Amino acid sequence: MPVKLLLQLSWRNLWRHRRRNTILLVAIAIAVGGVLLLNSMLRGMQVNMQETVIDNLTGHVKVLQPGYLDDPSIAHGFEVARDWDAELDPDAIVGWTSRIRVPAVIMSERETRGVQLIGVDPARESISFLDDIVIDGEALGSPEDRRVLVGAALAEQLETKVGRRLVLITQGADGRNREAGYRIAGVYRAEVAALEKAFVFTGAETLKNMLDTLVVTEVSVRLADDRFEPGILATMVDAFTGLDVLSWRDLEPQAAMIAEFMDTAVFIYFLVIMSALVFGLVNTLVTAVMERVRELGMLRALGMRPRSVVAQVVVESSLVMAVGVAGGVLIAAGAFALVADGIDLTAFDESLQSFGVRPQFTPVMQTGDVVLVVVLSLVLGLLASFYPARRAVKQKPLDALRR
Amino acid sequence: MGAAIWFFACVVAFIGPGALADDEPPAVTAQSLIEGALDLTRGIESSYTEMAMVIHRPEWERRMELVAWTQGREDALIRFTAPEKDAGTATLKKGERMWTFTPKHKREIRLPSSMMSQSWAGSDFSYNDLSRTDNYLRYYDYAITGTEQRDGHTIYTLTLTPHDDAPVVWGKEEMVMRDDYVMISQTFFDQDFKPLKQMQTMDIGELGGRTIPLTMRMADFEDLDRWTEMRYLSADFDAEVDEGMFTTFALRGER
Repeated sequence: MPVKLLLQLSWRNLWRHRRRNTILLVAIAIAVGGVLLLNSMLRGMQVNMQETVIDNLTGHVKVLQPGYLDDPSIAHGFEVARDWDAELDPDAIVGWTSRIRVPAVIMSERETRGVQLIGVDPARESISFLDDIVIDGEALGSPEDRRVLVGAALAEQLETKVGRRLVLITQGADGRNREAGYRIAGVYRAEVAALEKAFVFTGAETLKNMLDTLVVTEVSVRLADDRFEPGILATMVDAFTGLDVLSWRDLEPQAAMIAEFMDTAVFIYFLVIMSALVFGLVNTLVTAVMERVRELGMLRALGMRPRSVVAQVVVESSLVMAVGVAGGVLIAAGAFALVADGIDLTAFDESLQSFGVRPQFTPVMQTGDVVLVVVLSLVLGLLASFYPARRAVKQKPLDALRR
Repeated sequence: MGAAIWFFACVVAFIGPGALADDEPPAVTAQSLIEGALDLTRGIESSYTEMAMVIHRPEWERRMELVAWTQGREDALIRFTAPEKDAGTATLKKGERMWTFTPKHKREIRLPSSMMSQSWAGSDFSYNDLSRTDNYLRYYDYAITGTEQRDGHTIYTLTLTPHDDAPVVWGKEEMVMRDDYVMISQTFFDQDFKPLKQMQTMDIGELGGRTIPLTMRMADFEDLDRWTEMRYLSADFDAEVDEGMFTTFALRGER
């Protein structure tokens, strides 16, 4: 039987049951649209979490002295060759920086807190959250800047403000205590209050002088894209022999695990929603076929082969499915456009912050996910229409006509 | 300078104002007053004092007794003798390093920098207050900002302003000192120049042959019902103290 005739028959049949097919089409569209939107939320969460982790001074790849994680002191520092990055593909990385990070005690007139004191080169920190924080006062100007940048939450705890002096106590390279006063250049606001309480920044050279050292405690690299990770990791392992070259996944195993879990979660959500949809689809198609037993029997009696009858039913449902899926993609695209700029979750700020999640949430729609949903939907629709079609041809034409 | 210096000037290296009264410096400057007071202690090899410490809080008050051995201005061993519960608890200071010992745990702890700002024995003094030495003075600019006559003494008011990079949280400090080097009060201001803490001499008297502040009280300006008082019970400023007193072995009380 010519395909063209088959399509023509199917098309006309669809229009004969306008209401039923419209409902089916809308149901498919809504389900597919919903799956896609939910998917973009989950992806958003995943990307958001990874970005947050990488922004929090982790970077995609970090170099540490073995033992630093257990005892984060300047004793576990190392020297960085000026030209170590010569081997790196400049297109693969956004940037890199070296930092000195040591535990310190910070004191104001009224309060004392434990913090991480981080010496940075402000010009190179475009790769971390420092790049887009709001600062009340001034940012650090150079690695020689002899002032500190403290978080708003910490400043509040210490009951201090911009321009005031704080005393920092930490351990120098020789194991003896160093203490000195530092003026506050600025008070920064991070998206997560935990950061504001944990990190105090000053110029890298200032901190080196205070600690009496030439070494740094970490080198952090931010990649242009995840896919460059294995290559860069390999290059860096060669460049930093004897040191630990770690991916953010090694440094933040919990975040990495959640990110991995999201991949599975996306798939599970999709299967749950689609299987519900498939049952609806099968139900509708079975009903439709039952109503048409006489008609199909007639076609058989006229000499249409069972195979063609099955094909016709499958083509019918596939058409509905295809249009429905297309509609679903449109719905998802429309809804996504509305929320693409980010969803403000500040109302749930506190509970989110305890998970280290940013209050501003941006959904992410990935082409791969859309293709997966579309293809899987069509395949499922195809499979779902086989059963009713098979049932239709199982009845003998005579029995069918006699009904 | 820290509450400490003054406290330690008293506990660790007793200032003998009586001895000083005879050779008053020709021109009184802020520096001569402070250094003069501190320099007095250099003549003293070692000392043995017994003190009572009263910690007062709105809800409770407790009194502890302690003995202190000192050598020069760097080394000190302080051991609590009462109440029963705290007896044996000791603090050893050698230069800027400090150790504590609690009989209950039967081991001494070298104080990490993170603990130095914590309260010492629950009082209004921190370990930092105890550990600082007089080279701490280099962090300040100081000047006499007032003089007055009272009870036959010239009373000087000294203002100490910490340098910008000084490890000092205060905005400024004010000392009120008698011309015989008896400290009357020391006030610590925040960086808005609002007074926060004050060490005050509650009574002045003779002990060990010298006129000294007998009782000093460290109080919180923001909560006047919180203070710590130190009172001298007895003092021997020429006591023979064995070198071995300033070791972690002695800290454990095993001698």
